Amino acid sequence: MNAKERMEAAINMKPVDKVPNAPFAEAPVCHYFGSTFKDSLLEGPEMLAAHMKSLEEFKFDWVMLGMGLIGGIIPEALDCQVRYPEDVFPIIEKTSVFSMADVAHIAKNNMFTQRMENFLDGVRLLKQELKGEVPIACEYISPFTIATRLRGTNEIMNDIYESPELVHGLQEAIVPLDIAVGKALIEAGVDYIFYGADMECPVLLSPKHYKEFVHEPTSRVCNELSRLGSKVLPHMCGDIVKTGIVDYLLEMDIHGIMPGNLTQEKVLDIRVLKEKVGDRICIFDNINPNGPLLIGKPEAVAKETLAHLNRAKGMSGYIFSTAGTSSPYTPKENYLAMDKEVINFQWN
Amino acid sequence: MAISDILNAVVELDRIAVVENVKTAIIDGVPFDDILNKGLIASMDVVGERFSNGDIFVPEMLQAAKAMQAGLEVLKPHLTCDVLTQKGTVIIGTVKGDLHDIGKNLVSMMVEGAGFNVVDLGVDVDIEKFVSLTQTHNADVVCLSALLTTTMPTMAKIVEAFKESGLKAKIIIGGAPVTDAYARQIGADGFSDNAPGAVELIRRLIAA
Repeated sequence: MNAKERMEAAINMKPVDKVPNAPFAEAPVCHYFGSTFKDSLLEGPEMLAAHMKSLEEFKFDWVMLGMGLIGGIIPEALDCQVRYPEDVFPIIEKTSVFSMADVAHIAKNNMFTQRMENFLDGVRLLKQELKGEVPIACEYISPFTIATRLRGTNEIMNDIYESPELVHGLQEAIVPLDIAVGKALIEAGVDYIFYGADMECPVLLSPKHYKEFVHEPTSRVCNELSRLGSKVLPHMCGDIVKTGIVDYLLEMDIHGIMPGNLTQEKVLDIRVLKEKVGDRICIFDNINPNGPLLIGKPEAVAKETLAHLNRAKGMSGYIFSTAGTSSPYTPKENYLAMDKEVINFQWN
Repeated sequence: MAISDILNAVVELDRIAVVENVKTAIIDGVPFDDILNKGLIASMDVVGERFSNGDIFVPEMLQAAKAMQAGLEVLKPHLTCDVLTQKGTVIIGTVKGDLHDIGKNLVSMMVEGAGFNVVDLGVDVDIEKFVSLTQTHNADVVCLSALLTTTMPTMAKIVEAFKESGLKAKIIIGGAPVTDAYARQIGADGFSDNAPGAVELIRRLIAA
């Protein structure tokens, strides 16, 4: 099997020849192999060069992109003031939505800025070079999480009680823009939309408010991107099983779930999630990116990786991954230790 | 007017009732310290516990903190300066290069709600500012927040700068990617993965 066949088999609950290996590796990849971190996140040729070098060394089963897109390009296209440092993720320095008048204004924005086009060029270049043998995943964000970028997290969390019409109205404006960018990503060559639900996760927002504010607009975007041909794979931290959020996710046209951290040091046991979702969708594993992988030694990383793999052995629809974005400062020897365990694991 | 009415109004996120209940308590002659400690501050302990148990979430925490603050504003003119600062001074900020503030704000509000004097330095705070303002305010505890793995290393630099400056203030850290193991690795005095936990940690460190 090549990487695309392996990933598709897992997503479709079919047997695989070995463990699909798909960590959230964009930041380390850009740091290890990029000419600069910033350019590798944002600029077509640099993206291509960094990810091709990474595939050669790590042999991941996907290329994952998108931190620059969700952290900088999309908020900037929606009037946020964004700074792009050379060596860290983009930083939103000024939000753009202060009233309903701003909502009406951003609804008319052209999302396809020069930075957006440069990013889409990177996707096209990768698609061409990978020849369909390695799938491309792109991190993406929900209308609610985009709303927190544009308005500020504190403000949106207060608005839920003090100005609920703004939360609804802002997302209503974002939905078509979110779909438009998603469609462009799919047309450029993205196979998997990795849907980050950062700010509506049950660490931050109650299930009641998830249902009231988030579920409907998120469903519209996810269902449309699925209809357009992408595999949609939500990522969410917190106990999505205990809180019942997983039931809302399963109402959407999704193809897999990547459960994140419960706390900084604990992750959701994917066996609990598997029991809940059965063979309806695939499951991404969730090595804690802030644990030994970031601050431990390679031996500890290998041990933790093996423990995850052993827990999952025999599970249908299983894909190895990290519980969230890996730090660019993750020691390369740790990433290599994790990679080696996954590649060498006797799955069958 | 029972003190518990003030506490319950905060827990129920009813800002108007908190203000009214504090005003009534003052008129009824309830000791100011009791209104503060057994009403407003105690209410935030209940709120913190409910948050830790997963019974309430961030929007509710923020509303509770606002309700508590509204009550405190009514009470403040009646309190001596000592009452507001005697528990200790806490400096808090998000480290340089990081503009995320939700976690920092929650901790700030909870710590203030617990009766400490809080100096909130905001976001994107450089090392020198943490050092100089800790000296200026003679702070007991400094809380460092970071949401990004790219800004976490700055926490280690701040711990180092405090050592070099001979500052005795305790440093605690928190934020999405931060772990207890990381706190130990960089020599911080503590770590909390949530706002109520930060309040408890600060109480322990100041009492020690």
